[in-house]
Amino acid sequence: MYYRIFFLTLFLCVLGSTSYAQRKVTISGYIKDIENGEALIGATVYVKEVEAGTATNVYGFYSLTLPVGSYHIDYGYVGYNTQTQTVNLNADKRVDVELSTSTTELQEVVITGESADANVTSVEMSTEKVDIKTIKKIPAFMGETDVLRSIQLLPGVSSVGEGSSGFNVRGGNVGQNLVLLDDAPVYNSSHLFGFFSVFNPDAVKDVTLIKGAMPANYGGRLASILDVRMNEGNSKRYEVEGGIGTVFSRLAVQGPIKKDKASFLVAGRRSYVDIFAKPFIDDATLYFYDLTAKVNYNLNDHNKIFLSGYFGRDVFKFDEQQGFDWGSITGTLRWNHIFNNQLFSNFSFFVSTYDYGLAFGENDRDKFEWDSRVLTYTFKPSFNYFLNTNNEVLFGGEATYYNFNPAEAKVVSDGEVTDISLTDRHALESALYIDNTQKVNERLSLKYGLRFSSYQYLGPGTVYEYEENVPGERKTLVSTSTADDGEVIKNYYNWEPRASIKYQIGKGSVKGSFTRTSQYIHLVSNTAASTPIDIWTPSTNNIKPQIGIQYALGYFRNFGAGNDYEASVETYYRDTDNQVEYVKGADLFINEYQEGDLISGIGRAYGVEFNLKKNVGKLNGWISYTLGRTELKVNGINRNEWYPTRFDQTHNLKVFGNYDISKRLSASANFTFISGTPFSAPTSRFVIQNMVIPYDYYESRNGLRVPASHRLDLSVTLQMKRVKKGEKRKNQDELVFSVYNVYGRRNPFSIFFAQQDGYTSPGDNINTMAYRFSIVGAPVPAISYNFKF
Amino acid sequence: MSRLYYIFLVIPFIFFSCEDEVAIDLNDAPPVLVVDAWVNDMPQTQEIRLMMSQPYFDSSQPPEVSGAQVRITDDRGQTFDFIEKEAGSYQWDPAADSAAFEIGRSYHLSITYEGNAFEADSELKRVPALDSVVYTFYEERNAFQPEGYYAQFYARDPEGTGDAYWIKTYKNGQYLNRPSDLNIAYDAGFSSTTTIDGVIFIEPIQNKATPLNDDEDAYEPYVYGDSVYIEIYSITTEAFSFLDAVATQIERDGGFSEIFAEPLENVPCNISCTSNEKEQVVGFFNMSAVSYKGERLEE
Repeated sequence: MYYRIFFLTLFLCVLGSTSYAQRKVTISGYIKDIENGEALIGATVYVKEVEAGTATNVYGFYSLTLPVGSYHIDYGYVGYNTQTQTVNLNADKRVDVELSTSTTELQEVVITGESADANVTSVEMSTEKVDIKTIKKIPAFMGETDVLRSIQLLPGVSSVGEGSSGFNVRGGNVGQNLVLLDDAPVYNSSHLFGFFSVFNPDAVKDVTLIKGAMPANYGGRLASILDVRMNEGNSKRYEVEGGIGTVFSRLAVQGPIKKDKASFLVAGRRSYVDIFAKPFIDDATLYFYDLTAKVNYNLNDHNKIFLSGYFGRDVFKFDEQQGFDWGSITGTLRWNHIFNNQLFSNFSFFVSTYDYGLAFGENDRDKFEWDSRVLTYTFKPSFNYFLNTNNEVLFGGEATYYNFNPAEAKVVSDGEVTDISLTDRHALESALYIDNTQKVNERLSLKYGLRFSSYQYLGPGTVYEYEENVPGERKTLVSTSTADDGEVIKNYYNWEPRASIKYQIGKGSVKGSFTRTSQYIHLVSNTAASTPIDIWTPSTNNIKPQIGIQYALGYFRNFGAGNDYEASVETYYRDTDNQVEYVKGADLFINEYQEGDLISGIGRAYGVEFNLKKNVGKLNGWISYTLGRTELKVNGINRNEWYPTRFDQTHNLKVFGNYDISKRLSASANFTFISGTPFSAPTSRFVIQNMVIPYDYYESRNGLRVPASHRLDLSVTLQMKRVKKGEKRKNQDELVFSVYNVYGRRNPFSIFFAQQDGYTSPGDNINTMAYRFSIVGAPVPAISYNFKF
Repeated sequence: MSRLYYIFLVIPFIFFSCEDEVAIDLNDAPPVLVVDAWVNDMPQTQEIRLMMSQPYFDSSQPPEVSGAQVRITDDRGQTFDFIEKEAGSYQWDPAADSAAFEIGRSYHLSITYEGNAFEADSELKRVPALDSVVYTFYEERNAFQPEGYYAQFYARDPEGTGDAYWIKTYKNGQYLNRPSDLNIAYDAGFSSTTTIDGVIFIEPIQNKATPLNDDEDAYEPYVYGDSVYIEIYSITTEAFSFLDAVATQIERDGGFSEIFAEPLENVPCNISCTSNEKEQVVGFFNMSAVSYKGERLEE
């Protein structure tokens, strides 16, 4: 009932705000970069006469409906010159604008336009936008710019440590983030166990992380949405960009297929450690590569199509037949269609797959092979309705078909083959949504929406019924039955209301939000850190969808002339239900009865995030600090009491600064301090058959904490001379020197307990010790060379 | 899976990982009774050890528990009394008793100590014959498998799921008992949930007849004159779960395998205090049938 009222109110609000007597006309168009024709996301359009404006959507499109009249319109974007156009509006008008960067020659970034206070005036909260230029300045591990490692410097974002795949947002686990690459979900975003991510910085245009206050057009995960948008490709001229680093060699080519009409981008990377390591490791090899490509075509003023894709793989082999590999493939086909000046639409179809394989055995008579895969197809129509200067409506839908293949596996023993494959699982997840951003007056803005999601666990397959006997222990199989092809085994539905409010007080604003989300697929892993072999598993009749409710409240304020400093404080609280945990001794891989090993509990996460940012001037950067807590409560674990998750970090401080020393030289530093994460430790030990077994008398989970982690990274970027023998060089190039972990701190990845090495005899005293394992325990210097022509 | 870890020996070439012994302040806990009761049907003295648990970093001999009554009873009421011969060591000699263990029977362990009763159940399950132990010469295959003689044993898991085994290897009379040497099988494979039944034990299980070297970073092939002796103990499926959990907890090689390590958890014991639910006790009672074979590598 509650939701129906909500829905009704929403429509009334939208309709109510449309009733104006005056004749109105619409001005709309695209805002692009003059240099390369790339659409600018979030560029601002400000009409001086009415003191109102809008911003471009993710495709660079804007639309404003105004009374007939003459206007001065400012088009602006951070780091670009504001362009003012005088427009005489007496009929609907299309105005496409191309902006130029403030100073292409100078390193110093000058901010112009009204956009500088967008963080205060906009209703948006709990959202972080990082542009690729900033990401490229952050001192990187092995000198390799990385999107995922960079976003870990933002408030509310953390990770278990180097060597863990993925990231944690506001106390959510890695599987609770939806990572999108041009709309397509990426099921595993890591290369080399999370040291690097799948996003090639040469192909990335814009990165947005939504930590809360999720608009209704997003859903499917509880903690966050990481929306990565790829460059479209330079539509003006050919451009070659690349670099030679310590880990990767990169090359990206982009250019027009037809000037201002069609363009393409192809970017590839490959690691070459295997080439260096060759002399030491015989046949063993280790490499990873990825290829990102995009083509787009402007059919006419109203239609634009994009085709983009990603293909990447990590390969670890210790000889020709044996090894481990994983990778993702995504493909997106998008069609932007402008129905009319006010109604913008996008239809996306995308495919995404993630798979891994393990193979052991030197010959065909004795071997083990295992492949696992998740494959999804999604259709997503979305509409952007620019109702008037005060209302912008988003509506649309989404439908995803899942195919989970947990194991295609066989064991061959002395020539006899045992097929241990598991049957595929299928599911359909769909959603409908509507969302309105409404500017009530100068001070008050609202954003409210509703998402309705539905999920069907589908046949064919075997349906298992389990019964829990002892909480925390393997559930007993009660019965099995068979489901036919397409048969609905289990239905789930969820209403997901979303609402945000902004109220301006003086130079600052207070914002609040409420978000309810549901998550139908689960990332299953019982290792301390997330790894490439973690398995995505669907909700079933036994595993319920995860539900999350988040409340956030924040204060935003800018300081200084031209709003040089952005400051914000946000608090959040999230309640989660049906969180997946594991029974003791759970067997998650190639287990037909895996559902019997999964149990569920509730979670809560809360914290406060402080952020101070300076975007302009010779010295720029940010300081972010998060005080947080994230806990779970599961029957049968930790004596049924709340316990902190593995990634619970009380204090999390990040400082990033960049200083432009001269036109050619700039230096960056990055410091992080993270208080110790929890781990489980024994109290006692006992000896069985001469094996020393750790034992925790109190049966506690994550009861102790590892020492705090801190680290300083530095980098210096030297632009090579732009002028040679009095003539301007065509190409730009730079050298980047970096040191990661400058003072060589041995930050713990884990603390583990082990008995002494070697054989023991009955009657021997056997020593037991604790060890700290650090993945990067020394300073790591690196040099890379980047070029562009 | 453990062979996957060899790959991690490669990674440190590019990274800068390190491992240090550290001092950790652990919580104090009262000691609990430990029951080490692994009994088999071989014609030799059987021992059940009772002791107390110790603080984790205490490496001294565990305190023995004396003065308990220890008895095994089978499903037709036959009793086997284990008598304390040394402090904490309770023994039963099959040669001095007309009663005998029989495959297929179930057994009950009862211990009375300081007014409390501790109990556990097990079953004596079948064990396949050990057909052969063979040595094969291999050229260097990779950094982890240098040139030399590798031993393998052959035995076929009988048809029907639910058999489990603990395979012990002795090299030149030395029982290979490092955590990495622990070799258990569920039917012919590794896991109770993946059915590999009625075939010869899969290769990684056979291969454990050749141990790793002292640094545990490569196999150590056999040389002329070496001998290998293999025993297969039948164990219950509960004992398999116990040993499987023990392996997870004690096989901590460190290094990059830490990325795949599971968090610390108490292993599933099968002894309980039936007189007082609150009284904690750890340990395991298992009955085994044994098959064995040895082979010397001759020129």
